[in-house]
Amino acid sequence: MAERVITYSEAINEAHIQEMERDPTVILFGENVSSSWRRATKGLKERFGRERVRDTPITETSFIGMGVGAAIRGLRPIVELMLVDFGLVAMDQILNQMAKSHYMSGGAVKVPMVLRASYGAGTSSGATHSESLYSIFAHMPGMKVVLPSNPYDAKGLLITAIKDDNPVVFMEHRLLGRTKGPVPEEPYTVPFGVANLVREGSDVTVVATGRMVGLVMEAADGLKKEASVEVLDPRTIVPLDEEAILNSVGKTGRLVVVDEDYERCGFSAEVSAIVAEKGFNNLKASVYRVATPNVPLPFNPTLEKQLLPDREKIARAIRNVMA
Amino acid sequence: MDKETKLKLYRSMVRIRTFENGCRKLISEGKLPARFGMYTGQEAVAAGVSAHLDKGDEIGSTHRPIGHLIAKGCSLKKLLAELCAKRTGFNKGKAGPYHTFDPESGSLGANGIVGGSVPMVAGYALAHQIKKDGGVAVSYFGEGASNQGGVQETLNLAACWELPLVFVCENSSPEVQRMLGHEIDYPQLSIERISDRASAYGMPGSSHDGWDVLEIYEVAGEAVRRAREGKGPTLLEFKVHQIEGNLEGRIEAEEDDRVWCPIHNLKQKLLADGTLTPEIDEKIRKEESAAVEEAIAFALGSPDPEPIEAFDDVFVEGA
Repeated sequence: MAERVITYSEAINEAHIQEMERDPTVILFGENVSSSWRRATKGLKERFGRERVRDTPITETSFIGMGVGAAIRGLRPIVELMLVDFGLVAMDQILNQMAKSHYMSGGAVKVPMVLRASYGAGTSSGATHSESLYSIFAHMPGMKVVLPSNPYDAKGLLITAIKDDNPVVFMEHRLLGRTKGPVPEEPYTVPFGVANLVREGSDVTVVATGRMVGLVMEAADGLKKEASVEVLDPRTIVPLDEEAILNSVGKTGRLVVVDEDYERCGFSAEVSAIVAEKGFNNLKASVYRVATPNVPLPFNPTLEKQLLPDREKIARAIRNVMA
Repeated sequence: MDKETKLKLYRSMVRIRTFENGCRKLISEGKLPARFGMYTGQEAVAAGVSAHLDKGDEIGSTHRPIGHLIAKGCSLKKLLAELCAKRTGFNKGKAGPYHTFDPESGSLGANGIVGGSVPMVAGYALAHQIKKDGGVAVSYFGEGASNQGGVQETLNLAACWELPLVFVCENSSPEVQRMLGHEIDYPQLSIERISDRASAYGMPGSSHDGWDVLEIYEVAGEAVRRAREGKGPTLLEFKVHQIEGNLEGRIEAEEDDRVWCPIHNLKQKLLADGTLTPEIDEKIRKEESAAVEEAIAFALGSPDPEPIEAFDDVFVEGA
């Protein structure tokens, strides 16, 4: 039987359906989650009712905090941030209360909540509707941070996130929504902290997340005659599969990190630091990073393109590290 | 109101003040490392509100949390151990006074961010609404916090969703014409009553003296009933007068402050109506003092956490 192919958004939708059917404590709320034009949540209100699927006022601080409280008291809320940028108005509830309540309480309470956030540049939307920001969440101890790059991982990682007893930030790239791929119909989980070896290679390791994984694959295809590229998708940056990264660099001796988030103090810096600390002796060349420079994302599409990682920049980095 | 309820309210207030006096003593002796806002003078609010709450109901508190936590019924021993940063505290010494959480008594929890607990309390209320268990949640905050965006947002959200939630604002500004602890030239509120904000969000609101526990008990009862019946939230404001100074060895405030001392006020009323006799009063005070002494002995005799325990509880293990 041929594998069923659906989109990234449909895979996310299906994970909601299967988990909400399995567990009556799973609820969903956020801005416009009952809307029929939101593909990831379309039909859920009709299926599960307005008690469990609720549209909130446009007040991120209150509804994210409400998710934290509901999670503490035994529900498993999925809270949707329409865009991750809007989470910046609710940083206390995300970074103080959601991330740290379990630790601050000495384990007395747990926060099994999923904060789903759409993210990503490439649509000429300006600096408050384009950012990635996952490094901010990864920086604060206490939250898991998930970045699915394809439909299969999106469904399996979301089911894992909903079942997890910890707060999880689940980042959905806005340009991946229509990407298609094989997705089993039955429920399944993809474990956190286990990198996906997307392509085996022997010359250079490229670590990439989210939409960057597809760009790296295209760049690697274009470089087939010049370099054997190994592509690793960590899938979750907290927890991070350090072992897979170090083993791969141990084999190839070269590392490029491709990261859509801002470069400074970001995920690309973290991976570089881990390899510098724990895999230095295996390195044959300097580590290269391809990340968004430390410039707010501009509205003008030409200016935006100037900043974003793309196939050419990734290919250049791979050539540089091979030189 | 029956005699039993009056005595319950009296005992609850005596317990809070006796406990905080015990904390003052430990602080002066260098045995209690925590620094936090004392609740002295405000006991009537927590006692009067929590008298209507069951074990399955929750309160969310502030960084002046002791009264709220104790009135909700938390263990004095584990609370004091937490304040002394001991492993036997509610939160293994990781919370201190600003983050104390006790799920068992529904004291969830103190909060180090002004207004930070208020959205979370809406989540406790949402859990009751979805489980349909008849529970309610109470959110305590101060007049300063009432200006926070998250508090205003939560007033709106709770009203929109008719959450079983009671907002309790303890306003300490009116008596001193300024924000306590903040020497400022500019006012932080341009209204006299925080409860005026209730109508802006579509819920009932009212303001009351915070040193009359009998009145507090009545109005809180109505608000809690309303919430339990699914009729939505209420905003209650209580003007409070924080009594400062060292109360070691004394329960009631000095002459100057007695008009605001909720314990003194209730005692006079209960002596007058025959609910309380000097003998019963003595008995209550002795019992509460003994309970606090027991808590002190437990806390001071408890072990500190091992340094390596700093790494525990970042994540739920095995999840």
